[in-house]
Amino acid sequence: MLTEREILSTLEMVQNEHLDVRTVTMGINLLDCASHDLKRFKDNIMFKISDLAGNLVRACNRIGDKYGIPVVNKRISVSPIAVAAAPFSSSQMIDVARTLNQAATAVNVDFIGGFTALVEKGIAKGDRALIDAIPEALAETERVCASINVASTRAGINMDAVYLMGQKIKRAASLTAREDGIACAKLCVFANIPQDIPFMAGAYLGIGEADAVINVGVSGPGVVKKAIDRALSTEPQIDLGQLSELIKHTAYKVTRVGELIGREVADSLNIRFGVVDLSLAPTPNVGDSVGEIFQSLGLFSIGVPGTTAALALINDAVKKGGAFASSHVGGLSGAFIPVSEDLNISESVANGYLTLEKLEAITSVCSVGLDMVALPGDITEETLAAIIADEMAIGVINRKTTATRLIPVPGKKPGDTAHFGGLLGQSVILPVKNPPGANRFIRLGGRIPAPIQSLVN
Amino acid sequence: MNKVVISVLGPDRPGIIAAVSKMLVEKDGNIENVSQTILQSEFSGIFIVALPPQISIDELANYLKEGLAPLNHHVFVKPLEPGRVFFTMEKSEAFVITTRGPDRKGLVAAITEIIARYGVNVTNLQAVFKGGDDPNNNIMIYEVDVPAEIDQQGFYSDLRRKAEELSLQISIQHRNIFEAIHRI
Repeated sequence: MLTEREILSTLEMVQNEHLDVRTVTMGINLLDCASHDLKRFKDNIMFKISDLAGNLVRACNRIGDKYGIPVVNKRISVSPIAVAAAPFSSSQMIDVARTLNQAATAVNVDFIGGFTALVEKGIAKGDRALIDAIPEALAETERVCASINVASTRAGINMDAVYLMGQKIKRAASLTAREDGIACAKLCVFANIPQDIPFMAGAYLGIGEADAVINVGVSGPGVVKKAIDRALSTEPQIDLGQLSELIKHTAYKVTRVGELIGREVADSLNIRFGVVDLSLAPTPNVGDSVGEIFQSLGLFSIGVPGTTAALALINDAVKKGGAFASSHVGGLSGAFIPVSEDLNISESVANGYLTLEKLEAITSVCSVGLDMVALPGDITEETLAAIIADEMAIGVINRKTTATRLIPVPGKKPGDTAHFGGLLGQSVILPVKNPPGANRFIRLGGRIPAPIQSLVN
Repeated sequence: MNKVVISVLGPDRPGIIAAVSKMLVEKDGNIENVSQTILQSEFSGIFIVALPPQISIDELANYLKEGLAPLNHHVFVKPLEPGRVFFTMEKSEAFVITTRGPDRKGLVAAITEIIARYGVNVTNLQAVFKGGDDPNNNIMIYEVDVPAEIDQQGFYSDLRRKAEELSLQISIQHRNIFEAIHRI
């Protein structure tokens, strides 16, 4: 017999605190689709994706209904296209992106990730073709997401790739200038990219993964915030150790939901269950914000002094609770700070409390990186690359994943607002120091060596 | 051994279970199952008891009635008929139906009419009626077993339609979600 409290608190989480499963992402290996013939390769991709993912959306909706927990997004991640489509030219890669978009449309998923190259140590022929194809591929498709891993703790930072990405981001933005450079919202540059991310835009299926796998991304910033608010109103003397414990318990509950639903979707499609990604992923809705958690914890706004410490506490507690709740945890597993996608965070930027430098600082204790950050349109490729390089260095040295999703908004300057629409939200454009200037450091190129693993200060 | 079902109903106070179980021991009875619940000021208990053959149901019933009279409790005793099956449900899944909304007469009757019509069995019902229009003061929680073979979509949509008619918010969720969230 269930207790009244168990039932009512669950309902409260679903109805008033935005508890949902943010994404169920099916990973599909495309390496066996390989062919030197482009048409054949594309046919193989279409067939394999339709065959495996044909029932994904239906299964997610049915199982979401059964438990009364919505599965908000259904997505697909595929093997790195730079590997699967290695023989093809850059223009052929654009064609492959169109096919991926078509396949995603056919099975009714909103995004397909895996237009990906792993170039932390060097750029192979297929990698270069894919990177060159990125601006057009993202501008011409709606659902394809790209990610490039340019650095790792074991390989160092490939600065040639970093500079190249600065150029491609700039070009992708100019191709979608009328939509405030939206193509860049579908492009992540990574250090230490995990193989099993369910969240976009960084999702791809790693080379070490099975033929097909179901990964789940949970959410729940609203649930965490409400739990903190409730605790502080009933017990104002509660300390940070106790609040950490409370966040742990809450993360446990949220993760269990993801695990239950993910496993059942996997079973019903006869596909292996992979991981739960324990990330606090916000949306632009009030009450579904990571930024609001900082205010609940007593900070005036995310970005003011104390933010890094608070984020360290939140992130660690979420991981501890989530790791206990699920047998397999993976992906990014950290609180996201996507500026435009979180109403509260984007307001903090507009009010000047959160700056590019503070955003960079907080990525050292958690969060994935500089995510959905709108930058001035006149920023140079070199300055963009330099921002990426800084973020990569934090990941490489701290043995963690970091990423950037930077959007130089054509024709706009600091203080203007960029509108991306829907879940991507909107954001004031952040000022950057020396945006139009040259950066000789970036042009030096080469590889920043992998860091020493001892002498850890 | 004969098995009997004993139901006890009356105002709650300390010592009811102690009094009943003491009398059962005196008649050599063995309690196999017992469940009790308290609603507002009223206690209700149900016992399944194995009795030695020489003790008749009437004898036990009279003994209990006499013993519980000072507590102002009513007692009912009947034989348990384990061989007789009144309904079967071969395959079913456990769901929890929760409704919230303004209090009015007939809420339980309207919802359970649909539940019964589809052959769904209520295994536990909790209702909190504090009256008034605050939906959070008027909550009904039905734990039900839904047979696998019924038209489940029809059942859920009938429930949703009725809830809307009665201005109730309804939620229908598989029981596992509550266990997953709250229990280790």
